[in-house]
Amino acid sequence: MSNAIVIDNVTKHFQKRNRRNESTTLKSEVVRLLKGQRKLKEPATHIEALKGMNLVVPRGTTMGIVGRNGSGKSTLLKLVTGIYAPTTGTITVNGRISALLELGAGFHPDFTGRENILINGIILGMSRNEVKSRVDEIIEFAELGDFIDEPVRTYSSGMFMRLAFAVATHVDPEILIIDEILSVGDAHFARKSSAKMNEFRQSGKTILLVTHDLGSIETWCDAAVWIDGGKTRMVGDPRQVVSAYRQAIAAAEAEGDRTGHSALSAPGLALPQVEAAPAPAEVKSPAQVVELRLRDGVGAQPSAFSADSALEVYVDLELSSEARCDVSVEIATVSGVALFKTLYSAGALPAGRATVRLTLPRLGLGDGAHVLTATAWSAGLPPHALSKSLVVAPHPSGLGLIRPEHAWSTEPRSEPIPASPAVKATAQA
Amino acid sequence: MVRNLQELYQYRALLWALSLRELKARYRASVLGFLWTFLNPTLSMAVYALVFGVLMENAPARYPFYLFSGLLPWFFFSTSVLGGTTSVSDRKDLLTKVRFPAQVLPAYVVLTNLINFVLSIPLLFVLGIAFQDSPTWHLIFVLPLLVLQTLFTLAITYLLSALNVAFRDLQHIIANVMQLAFFLTPVLWDVRSVKGIDRFGIVMSADEVQRAIVTVNPIAALMTAWRDVFFAHQVPELQPLLVVAAITLIVLWLSSAVFERRREEFAELV
Repeated sequence: MSNAIVIDNVTKHFQKRNRRNESTTLKSEVVRLLKGQRKLKEPATHIEALKGMNLVVPRGTTMGIVGRNGSGKSTLLKLVTGIYAPTTGTITVNGRISALLELGAGFHPDFTGRENILINGIILGMSRNEVKSRVDEIIEFAELGDFIDEPVRTYSSGMFMRLAFAVATHVDPEILIIDEILSVGDAHFARKSSAKMNEFRQSGKTILLVTHDLGSIETWCDAAVWIDGGKTRMVGDPRQVVSAYRQAIAAAEAEGDRTGHSALSAPGLALPQVEAAPAPAEVKSPAQVVELRLRDGVGAQPSAFSADSALEVYVDLELSSEARCDVSVEIATVSGVALFKTLYSAGALPAGRATVRLTLPRLGLGDGAHVLTATAWSAGLPPHALSKSLVVAPHPSGLGLIRPEHAWSTEPRSEPIPASPAVKATAQA
Repeated sequence: MVRNLQELYQYRALLWALSLRELKARYRASVLGFLWTFLNPTLSMAVYALVFGVLMENAPARYPFYLFSGLLPWFFFSTSVLGGTTSVSDRKDLLTKVRFPAQVLPAYVVLTNLINFVLSIPLLFVLGIAFQDSPTWHLIFVLPLLVLQTLFTLAITYLLSALNVAFRDLQHIIANVMQLAFFLTPVLWDVRSVKGIDRFGIVMSADEVQRAIVTVNPIAALMTAWRDVFFAHQVPELQPLLVVAAITLIVLWLSSAVFERRREEFAELV
């Protein structure tokens, strides 16, 4: 059972409720009956949300799903969760599923946060004892303070979402299904949720993630699938899938600019085919980045690094043959703005494993989730890269992308510096 | 059917939590809170006692007590069916967002009303004492009657809740049907006071008519049995109850099958 989810040739049809030019009211039904029209003018129509979908999600993989609105992403998640049944085809799921399709299902506004934790936990599939044993953990995670014993209707929307997210992530599922809900709460809570997601990933859980934030797919996921027009269009490395998806969107937009209509004008239509992106080079780079380890100065691996602590980046390489190897490390924001890049010529390395270390005595970055990418290549051959998210903890008085080393002091009282002639001239003008 | 009940047992924690919440939620924002569970039937008892005990002097003897021994089980049935019919169609929030065993929804409505009914039985004894009546050993029949009526109500509720998802007119039809059923069922009147018929060429003795009512209307059989236990202090007639049990089994089997079949469509239709 190495596959968590196997989707085999699944289709899903929805019946259209209203037929064109015909509203199905009681009156129209009676009139139709009286006129003796037993058959409807237009036969019952179907919407094909999925048209023969195939997907295998191996155990322990974080798989991102991209695709435009109406391409069938949410339908797929609901099928995997078991809310919908497939019209044809089969879905095999191995393991306990927790679906975060909407937060706070079954919350009752008149009940306190604590009471809602119990019922919501049971609805999400925990046993009563499981909920009870985790209730303190959930309350602590949600950070509601005394509000936990107040009715949920008095909560702000942020508090409501935080509580709901806390319950949903404490179900301890083997397979987690997430639909666009990673950005819950303020910056602090968003970071906490990211850390929780990371914890899920590191403990070997399978995650299926739908989001329109392509940057987070690139950072978070081990694999990505692009769903287009109800079918799997591409599966593979998240960067490649996202880049192909971006190109197709751009192509569709360009077509729309040119002809006035494109696949983007109707929901759910498949995007145009794009000239295959420069085919993945046949020649494989002799140097592969197999692992990327981030440590602070004392060898620990915190979920968030302090701007003042050191950062050590260990790049584990695997060389298929002896080769001269160059390595670069780049830190960029999630939206792709490069913050820092450094190159290193490691020289000739023997075949087999090798590790390159980069030390930053002081990290000096502003808070937030950043992307750290290590790239290795040999002269003239295609590079190989691996990315990891680098979370920097916020500083109470800090703001901005970088945090250089700095010092403040109060100078002893002195005579005011005489204004320069230039300033005087401006003032007189 | 067996699988359906097994699944229900499997999800008993959910069932229980939802029922408790429903009971608590009903009176949540009120000052007297849970006390209303007892206060509501007590007050309506007082109204009936006033009307039939004081104002209407020619009412049958001990009529308020008689009335309530039938009214409480009737309320259990009717509120379950009325609430249960919309129990699935109203919970879009749960059905479309979480993998959720849909049969818990009608079941918890029935369970909530069952708890309410059981809690109101002691009040009936208090009323009985006011009419110089005290409970007898016939109370041992309460348990089997409870099981029978709960299963019967559950069966009806399953069927209606499944159908109401696709055909929403049902909930309004049911509201009216229940009103009709209230008057066709011996709650206000006594089945043993019904006279024979000799009209339109149909000749039936009083006994035959009474038997027909109880056989055609399973609820009539149940209400008559509750009356026997609480009011008349006699052993309920077995035969009509066996008929009810048979009907219950058939309807439960049928409605479980309908429910199972339609369950997968619920999330799309609500």
